[in-house]
Amino acid sequence: MRKIKFSQALNEALHQEMERDEDVFVLGQDVGRMGGDFGVTKGLWKKYGDRRVIDTPLSEAAMVGLSNGAAFTGLRPVVEIMFADFITECFDQIVNNAAKAHYMFSGQLKAPMVLRTANGGGFRAAYHHSQNPEAWLMNIPGITVVAPSTPYEAKGLMISSIRSDNPIVFFEHKMLYATAGEVPEEPYALEIGKAKIKREGKDITVIASMKMTEYALKAAEELEKEGISVEVIDPRTLVPFDKETIYDSVAKTNRVVVAYESPKTGGYGAEIAGMLNDEMFEFLKAPVKRVASLDCPVAFSPKLEDHTLPNYNDVLSGIKEVLDY
Amino acid sequence: MSLSTEKLKKMYYDMNLIRRFEEKVEEHSMKGNIPGFIHLSIGQEACQTGVMHVLKETDYKFPDHRSHGICLLSGGDKNRVMAEIFAKKTGICEGKGGSMHIADVEVGNMGNNAIEGSIVASGLGTAYASKYRGNDNVTAVFIGDGTCGRGELHESMNMAASLKVPLIYVLVNNGYAISTKAEQAHSYPEHLSDRAKGYEIPAEVVDGNDVEKVYSAMEKAVKRARNGEGPSMIELLTYRWQGHFSGDPASYRPEGEVEKWKEKCPIKRLNEKLQSEGIDKEELIKLEEDALKEVEAMVEFSLESPEPDFEDAMKYIYAEPYDNREEAN
Repeated sequence: MRKIKFSQALNEALHQEMERDEDVFVLGQDVGRMGGDFGVTKGLWKKYGDRRVIDTPLSEAAMVGLSNGAAFTGLRPVVEIMFADFITECFDQIVNNAAKAHYMFSGQLKAPMVLRTANGGGFRAAYHHSQNPEAWLMNIPGITVVAPSTPYEAKGLMISSIRSDNPIVFFEHKMLYATAGEVPEEPYALEIGKAKIKREGKDITVIASMKMTEYALKAAEELEKEGISVEVIDPRTLVPFDKETIYDSVAKTNRVVVAYESPKTGGYGAEIAGMLNDEMFEFLKAPVKRVASLDCPVAFSPKLEDHTLPNYNDVLSGIKEVLDY
Repeated sequence: MSLSTEKLKKMYYDMNLIRRFEEKVEEHSMKGNIPGFIHLSIGQEACQTGVMHVLKETDYKFPDHRSHGICLLSGGDKNRVMAEIFAKKTGICEGKGGSMHIADVEVGNMGNNAIEGSIVASGLGTAYASKYRGNDNVTAVFIGDGTCGRGELHESMNMAASLKVPLIYVLVNNGYAISTKAEQAHSYPEHLSDRAKGYEIPAEVVDGNDVEKVYSAMEKAVKRARNGEGPSMIELLTYRWQGHFSGDPASYRPEGEVEKWKEKCPIKRLNEKLQSEGIDKEELIKLEEDALKEVEAMVEFSLESPEPDFEDAMKYIYAEPYDNREEAN
């Protein structure tokens, strides 16, 4: 099968859904004439023009507000928030409108809106272009949080997100944009809320999403040489969370590492650890280990950034620590 | 353009309906039959009535949270508006919304929101949707003088103007954002709505206690919007007789101010106008009594209605079906 990049897979999903459904439109800063800061919306403006591809001012609240209102009437906006850090500028629209409209008006309104945003460090862009705010979004009932790790999943989950009648925050880790993988040319939709076992194993389960999946798979390969069998699971969507797949794995391996890039305290791995403590305690032979960023902002100095963000070695030593417990 | 006597009589009825509605809501809030905070619009009835009489059912309305009248006049089941405020299962939002979050989407009431400014941005979206689909439905967003401090309003006005969407900002300026007067908290030349002009949005300031003037300013703005000429703002100068919420003693207001505004009562003014046009006083009293009866029936309906069930707490978190993957490729 042909291989394309993560950003191209997303671009293909947008092209195909806009072709299929006249109600889908795109807005964001520089998404039109420029094709997006990371090229994800390339070619859309040329094909569909100003009506369906809007180059907006720097107005995240109005952009997401526009998306909500249009979605309330049945349109399917896909709004790009250039960097996930900028979510703070439209947080009210996500938390108080998109997430609540369906609930507080007893099902009268739906908000079929997708908010795409680039997250993650490693880019030397520091504080305001590197954060991983997925856990902020997980504490808002009504919001779906999607976080793919491969081009195949990026395309399939983008298509199902656009088709979903619910408001979705779709994270695109910026260090994954250039990674390539096999992607079918025809449109396909993956189930939202379904984790994927990326590698089967029996000694320990590593739960890792987005960029961390790559480190977990590499660590698993390395540890195989030492006769250790690591199961790697990518949740793919953080809300809804596929407890079944994770719990089955934990019942088998009895040991768990959760790897995530955001600050350790209150990150999504903390929720997973809590969940396992609540519901799977009798299956655990060791405490659930969180491998995450230090609890500090993402600094500019490359030396400091590399020191504070979790990397391959951190995942590797985290696994060993749990095995040695 | 002057309005027909028939239309004015209908407006007179509606203004009385809102007044009686608000009085009953206050009464039952004090009695403990209505939970939570209640924001009353007594004194502002002409703003709501004048605007709503211009709009169609298919137009999108975003009330602010002093807008029970908008919800009443949208065209839906009024009993269910009252029941919603009573937190009853028979309410339009099944008791989940309450006074500050009432939507009736079938008649274009897209819902208020307890964060002033938040729905202003949603209104940008419904207005864009009308333009996208090429229909002539307009969007009316109600804001207060307090909302003028919100960044969301300014971001939205800028985009509404540049996208030229059919949107009307109805600025109900009642002089106070809770206790803070607009001139204390804002910097503007003469009127708050002068700011709209900076975004090339025309703005008209009218006496918000004169229902005919409200109607005609709104009519002009709506016509502009339906003709594809873009957004407008109308600023309606009015006053709320009560405090910010029911129970607020409003000690921040200077002595005599309320009394002064009560003399400018919008209902009294329309009553005098209708009498001067030869309408019999008795006929007007009959309209007032009918409005009260209609409101009393709403209260009775609400008092008799059941509360939501515990199972309802987890209902409507996600739209169903959650998964639309099978939609045709």
